[in-house]
Amino acid sequence: MSERDQGVKNPSRRALLRGGLAGGGAALMAGLTAGKSIAAGDPAITDIQDWNRYLGDGVDAAPYGMPSEFEADVVRRNVAWLTADTTSSINFTPLHALDGIITPNGVCFERHHGGVAEVDPMQHRLMIHGLVEQPLVFTMQDLMRFPRQNHAYFLECAANSGMEWRGAQLNGCQFTHGMVHNVVYTGVPLRALLEEAGVKTDGKWLLAEGADAAAMTRSIPMEKVLDDCLVAFKMNGEALRPEQGYPVRLVVPGWEGNMWVKWLRRLEVGDKPWHQREETSKYTDLLANGKARRFTWVMDVKSVITSPSPQAPITHGKGRTVVTGLAWSGNGTIKDVDVTLDGGRNWHKARIDGPSLSKSLHRFYYEFDWDGSELFLQSRAIDELGNVQPTKDALRAARGENSIYHNNGIQTWYVRADGVTENVEIS
Amino acid sequence: MLKFPKSVLLATAAIAFSGGSVLASGDIDAGEKVFKKCMACHMVGDGAKHRVGPELNDVFGRVAGSLDDFKYSPAMKEAGAGGLVWGADTLATYLHKPKDMIPKTKMAFAGLKKEADIENVLAYLASFSAGADMDTAEPESTPTAEETAEQTAPTPALQNADYEPSTGPMGLGRVALPEEIAAWDIDIRPDGMGLPAGKGTVAEGEVVFTERCATCHGDFGEGRDRWPVLAGGQDTLTDERPEKTIGSYWPYLSTVYDYVRRAMPFGDARSLTNDEVYAITAYLLYLNDIVTDEAFELNSENFTDIHLPNEENFIADDRQEEPHWKADADPCMTDCKAEPAKITMRARVLDVTPDSDEGEGGGQVD
Ligand code: HEC
Ligand code: HEC
Repeated sequence: MSERDQGVKNPSRRALLRGGLAGGGAALMAGLTAGKSIAAGDPAITDIQDWNRYLGDGVDAAPYGMPSEFEADVVRRNVAWLTADTTSSINFTPLHALDGIITPNGVCFERHHGGVAEVDPMQHRLMIHGLVEQPLVFTMQDLMRFPRQNHAYFLECAANSGMEWRGAQLNGCQFTHGMVHNVVYTGVPLRALLEEAGVKTDGKWLLAEGADAAAMTRSIPMEKVLDDCLVAFKMNGEALRPEQGYPVRLVVPGWEGNMWVKWLRRLEVGDKPWHQREETSKYTDLLANGKARRFTWVMDVKSVITSPSPQAPITHGKGRTVVTGLAWSGNGTIKDVDVTLDGGRNWHKARIDGPSLSKSLHRFYYEFDWDGSELFLQSRAIDELGNVQPTKDALRAARGENSIYHNNGIQTWYVRADGVTENVEIS
Repeated sequence: MLKFPKSVLLATAAIAFSGGSVLASGDIDAGEKVFKKCMACHMVGDGAKHRVGPELNDVFGRVAGSLDDFKYSPAMKEAGAGGLVWGADTLATYLHKPKDMIPKTKMAFAGLKKEADIENVLAYLASFSAGADMDTAEPESTPTAEETAEQTAPTPALQNADYEPSTGPMGLGRVALPEEIAAWDIDIRPDGMGLPAGKGTVAEGEVVFTERCATCHGDFGEGRDRWPVLAGGQDTLTDERPEKTIGSYWPYLSTVYDYVRRAMPFGDARSLTNDEVYAITAYLLYLNDIVTDEAFELNSENFTDIHLPNEENFIADDRQEEPHWKADADPCMTDCKAEPAKITMRARVLDVTPDSDEGEGGGQVD
């Protein structure tokens, strides 16, 4: 077994740091520099490669296609010590290895409270009741007969970066920031379903419930429900993945991921919130003075450099270098992203590339000539309302360190002269 | 001579399915699904470890309660010492009604009611057991045209015609029946809306809690391993490491009833009666020193009289008032700091990133 294969099978952080075996790209590079004699030319060119001589697989070798085997380390990962059991746990999107704004379905992070429900769509029903003119039951087929819409939205868990409140903990933006994904949803406006049932005038809140073993529930204010919530059955063009709520989930754009109830089966209209477990015991933000904020729904303006980052160190040495990352805000679009190389002494405008959509991830780049000296990389996003992403210290000053949720502070990556990159906090 | 109690052997005989060929008739794939009911507590397969219950590799032929590194109940160890060896029949009996076979087993699991579920889960477990003699090799058969059609033809949607159609603008969906709403509408609000009729005392709650909840949450709600803590932590909310429990943090008692009824015991949700949930809720009040009398009865009448200590400490979302939002309105671009940046903390010091083999951190996901 080649060293690369081992690196892929057991992608330990140390292996990544040691040799920059970060995947196919690095392996090819190693091939280049390890070539015996430069005079003879690059064997990647002068040798005839197997794939250039022999036939590959025919069609249908993989009826549902998978990524190249050289990308086998681009996978979700969890942090086992965080939770008691994988059926009530999370894993993280490999942000460091992705580009563009869309997250592929198979690597969208997962968070379940009772495991992945395997729901038979033929046996699935969505009920609307409570303060409505007529309580209704829809089958999946009924839902698909309403006029549909398509929107790209980010979904961020309120606990994303939650482990970093007390200081730098995890070496990798997959772990510090990977509880976010961005997907194009196809679905029906929740408003249309409620209009079908007819909401009574005192209907001010909606309780959404899942069909899973946690029967997940959240209360949502009616203004939001009528504004932009969707009942979605497709992600990036195909059916929702089971772990994302197949056959149908709620989409609550810009608001914390826990509210996006998966395996959605029940919507109850009421005049007051329900104060369910996920909006009292959890998803409330404890402040230093012992008070706790509740109903903190909006995900604030945030950004992170995805490469270089601890799992994606610089392996090419000095010269042209691409810094790239993601920015998003629950308030709408991103107006600007600034990048600093010196830990915030001087900032440069980054280039936002690709679609700039409301409540969707934005991709930014900053290209520069690296002189090979140490870097303290940070990014700072500003949203369309003018909100500026705060420093972690500013957040701690305002809230203390026990909030768990809504940590949107500026992330620092320390790039050493050899390109190895670490999660640090700086003065 | 077997020392194992006769009653158990009799029970075994009584339930011996289809002449002891439980395994032959079981379906491994279907069994994998049934095993989901066990997964909250057991692992099986490559790298299986003990969880709440012991790992189940090679369970066929295993003497009951015999794994050295798992802490069994005395009852299970005794059963093993008495000669109980796990095989198709003994497992079938145990899994049907664990407490009937071994009254003091600490496996907090009500049992599998369907014979087919037991057969299937045993076939599944047998596939991880060298000691299981079984013949599950099924002939590979090509599905007939009818079978294929059956699998691919869309099942007709629910016969909406049998129900009252929606009179909404789209005419889609149909009117929900009161029985259907009642089956799903189990939410409870702080003002008592949704509370079912019923009652239960602290003392009754202790019995149910010990049997159904304590394996994970501890006898006193202190939380075993990394399972959630349910009691204690009063006056810790401003500490460096606050302990957020029903007594120290939760604002409303209705949430306890609602949540336990909808989601607990973990992996066996909706299996408690309304009275049992009242009793457990009363017991959780007792564990949190909110009631002190073991004879205290919680019921639908007195429920909303009870207030949790931390109710007043929840406030509205006022993040926008935080000073930094205004201060940063026009962020500095050049010469923003007098001194070069210095490292004040490194993640590698803690080194809790997965795939690094040192220590564990003190983080919390939510
Ligand atoms: C709520 C947790 C829980 C669930 C759910 C559960 N078990 Fe158990 N199981 C345990 C515990 C704890 C023990 C140890 C019992 C004792 O020591 O009395 C155990 C013991 C066992 C044993 C005896 C093993 C030995 O080494 O002697 C078997 C077999 C078993 N369980 C099978 C199952 C199967 C199959 C299921 C699902 C159908 C299941 N259990 C569901 C917790 C659980
Ligand atoms: C197999 C282990 C297990 C058993 C048995 C179990 N629980 Fe739980 N309990 C959990 C897990 C895991 C969670 C967290 C679930 C999540 O991620 O949302 C939890 C959460 C809770 C919570 C919420 C804790 C909080 O701080 O938010 C309460 C209350 C609770 N359980 C009560 C009970 C009661 C009462 C029983 C018995 C009827 C019970 N549990 C049985 C594992 C268990």
